[in-house]
Amino acid sequence: MIPDVVAAVVLGLLALAVVLAVVRVWKGPTAGDSTVAGDLIFFAFIGAVAVFGLQFSIEAVLDIILISALLGFLSILSLARLMQGGKR
Amino acid sequence: MNPDMVITVVGSGLLIFGAAIIASAAIGLIRLPDLYTRTSAIGTAAGLGVALIVAGVVVMDFSALNLVKGIIAIIAQLLTSAIGSFVLARAGYLTGSEPVSTTAPDELADQAVPATKDSSSESVPGSDAEGV
Repeated sequence: MIPDVVAAVVLGLLALAVVLAVVRVWKGPTAGDSTVAGDLIFFAFIGAVAVFGLQFSIEAVLDIILISALLGFLSILSLARLMQGGKR
Repeated sequence: MNPDMVITVVGSGLLIFGAAIIASAAIGLIRLPDLYTRTSAIGTAAGLGVALIVAGVVVMDFSALNLVKGIIAIIAQLLTSAIGSFVLARAGYLTGSEPVSTTAPDELADQAVPATKDSSSESVPGSDAEGV
């Protein structure tokens, strides 16, 4: 569906974002920095899913994006709860 | 220019712009000094980037049902990324993540009780708010 050049550019930018976020997970002084970087990695994967869904003409790509956005929110909430040691 | 070409150009532009915003959020994640500025960068930029990518998908693969799904996905993404980054910054403050030293009025320093110390000591709020 989309031109190969566009898919390559978008996936390259998202891969750059994932690499920088992995560097932050590796270096990050506190657990919060690692959690924020993991959040960014999740968003980059949503973008990659969108590109692959367009490239291979998958019809359910918007359903996948919607559900994964909501699940990412739940995962961030539970990670924040984990950082606080189960307290509120 | 025929309509197919216009759709391809606009959709590709939206996709590339969204990916570039996510990449700029990652650069901010490396270069910004403390947890709170990093959380701000991710919460705004990643929410906007994913919203633009969803808009690009809707433009490239247009139908009425896809339009409705895309609008719901964009609204959910904008709301949840803002709330998620707020919750993360709050958890970081409660577990004693240090703000950068140029954070001039730290208005929460008097009222925050770090969550990691609740069980061990019944301390006065504010006496241990400088963090671990």
